[in-house]
Amino acid sequence: MEQKPIQGEKKVFMTGNETVAWAALAAKADIMYGYPITPQNEIMHYWTRLAPKHNRKFLQTEDEISAGFTTVGGVLSGKRAFTATSGPGNVLMQDSLSMAEMMRIPIVMVVTQRGGPSTATVIYSQQETTLTCFGGNGEGIRVVYSTASHQELFDYTIKAFNTAWKYRFPTFVLGDGYQSQMREPLKIYDPDEKGIEFVPAVAQLGVEGEAGVDRDPIHLRNTYNMEDELYEVVRGLVDDFKAVAPEIEEYREQDVDDCEILVVAHGIVSRAVEGAVQQLRREGIKAGSFRPITLRPFPEKHLRRNAEKARKMLIVESAEGQLRRLAADAIYGCQTPMEGLFRPGESITVEEVVQAVKGLL
Amino acid sequence: MNKRIIEAYVGEYASGKSENAINRALELNSQGRKVRLVDLDLVNPFYTLRPIKKELGQKGIEVVAWGRGEATGLGEAGSLLKPEMKWALHGGGDVVLDIGYGIEGLKVLNLIEGAAEDKFLKVYVVVNIARPMTAAVGDIIEYVTSLGEVDGLINNSHLGTETDREIIHEGAYIVSKVSQELGVPVVATAVAKEYAHLVGKKDPMGNPIKIIDLFMKDAYW
Repeated sequence: MEQKPIQGEKKVFMTGNETVAWAALAAKADIMYGYPITPQNEIMHYWTRLAPKHNRKFLQTEDEISAGFTTVGGVLSGKRAFTATSGPGNVLMQDSLSMAEMMRIPIVMVVTQRGGPSTATVIYSQQETTLTCFGGNGEGIRVVYSTASHQELFDYTIKAFNTAWKYRFPTFVLGDGYQSQMREPLKIYDPDEKGIEFVPAVAQLGVEGEAGVDRDPIHLRNTYNMEDELYEVVRGLVDDFKAVAPEIEEYREQDVDDCEILVVAHGIVSRAVEGAVQQLRREGIKAGSFRPITLRPFPEKHLRRNAEKARKMLIVESAEGQLRRLAADAIYGCQTPMEGLFRPGESITVEEVVQAVKGLL
Repeated sequence: MNKRIIEAYVGEYASGKSENAINRALELNSQGRKVRLVDLDLVNPFYTLRPIKKELGQKGIEVVAWGRGEATGLGEAGSLLKPEMKWALHGGGDVVLDIGYGIEGLKVLNLIEGAAEDKFLKVYVVVNIARPMTAAVGDIIEYVTSLGEVDGLINNSHLGTETDREIIHEGAYIVSKVSQELGVPVVATAVAKEYAHLVGKKDPMGNPIKIIDLFMKDAYW
């Protein structure tokens, strides 16, 4: 029998990209389709080093358009396939992801956000928030986990495979260049030993038997002739998504019970925010934080509950209001004033958040 | 005593090559020796010691690296060699080379004038056993062998902020095993200053302990 990639649980020191490759391996991914782009590259590099040892596959395509569509194809053929990209690559993959959305194809895609617009920097940003949540010519029928640490990169990459295959929505792990390149300790583990059961990947094309005789015909469509026909399909997608949203939604709160200033951030920026709230609390300032872990579906009710209690809100992000738009939409009608600390493509420190909160007092 | 010291630090991605290279350069500098530290990471040129070039320069080390803004417009394809890098071994003084990861990284030595013939050049492999690709004796042997001829191993095993005595000792044990199998000496067990209290002058395998300061945490852009 093939040896498991990870036996039991072990403490390691890794980069984020390497963490993703190990997580995909642990999640029994069969194949990665990919095209190189910084800061995502080492996901591919490590996958290609690990894959042959564990009988997994890799295909480097000619571009991201192809990487996205081959991932779709791999999934249709019954493989637990995934891809990873960043920035302009994320833009190019949206066409295939829209197809996955329409056809309920369970794609897993890891995004390591880099600076934008366009090629910009290879370093870091949170500027792919809108794109990852709502890219493509669709309705954003996707699950997006925004991670903040290597432990989360490992846990949520594994989880993404099950979310995708269970609900059959494209599922994203939204990281960033800092998380990709940063090194920190984490525990990696064999998901089987944690009782995590994987939803099997089943072929949708090329299955045995005669259609209409031995089995139902397989009819996969992303093209419709009539607008009412399309409407019915999209309405179904939206309703299905809304129905399962409450069980997918995840968030994290800190010191919210009596908080006057509620600071909202996602991803790695929430680490600076949580550090700032601790410092502010030590100084007697009633600050608290709310972090959506799922950006799609957005934990709307939970943010609203906290927003309504607070005197002021501060949205902190390495983008120009992309999280703010999600938050404002989620709590529409709430009268709590909403301020922003926006640093598109640039990191945000604890000290800067502390200062911004003090400016609101 | 005045023999030239020329050392290249190689190893797995995030094994601690740069930290060990910087600390070696500082050590030589503190002995009153003339030191040139050369950033030769062409594998991942955007996450190297460029951002701390100035700080190291102020300590008296000649740092040969691209500066922020010097290589503008090249984006991620900006892995090009400075003339000073190509000729890094020429002129006097000691030279410490910080090399990009793996075998591809090491190939940069082919571009350095005189490296192939240099009798003083020592190549040291930095190993952290908390890095899963280089955790077991067999994997490390395979890795070190892929690099070609090397002169020494450095046990740099740690778990970042969760470093404990156990990981340092286990690293010493495993790296020493590799050393025995390959006949390549363990030069040192490197331990960050924050964890110096966990160790003595030698690790349990008898390898000398080298306390290092960490610089790369400030090296993010």
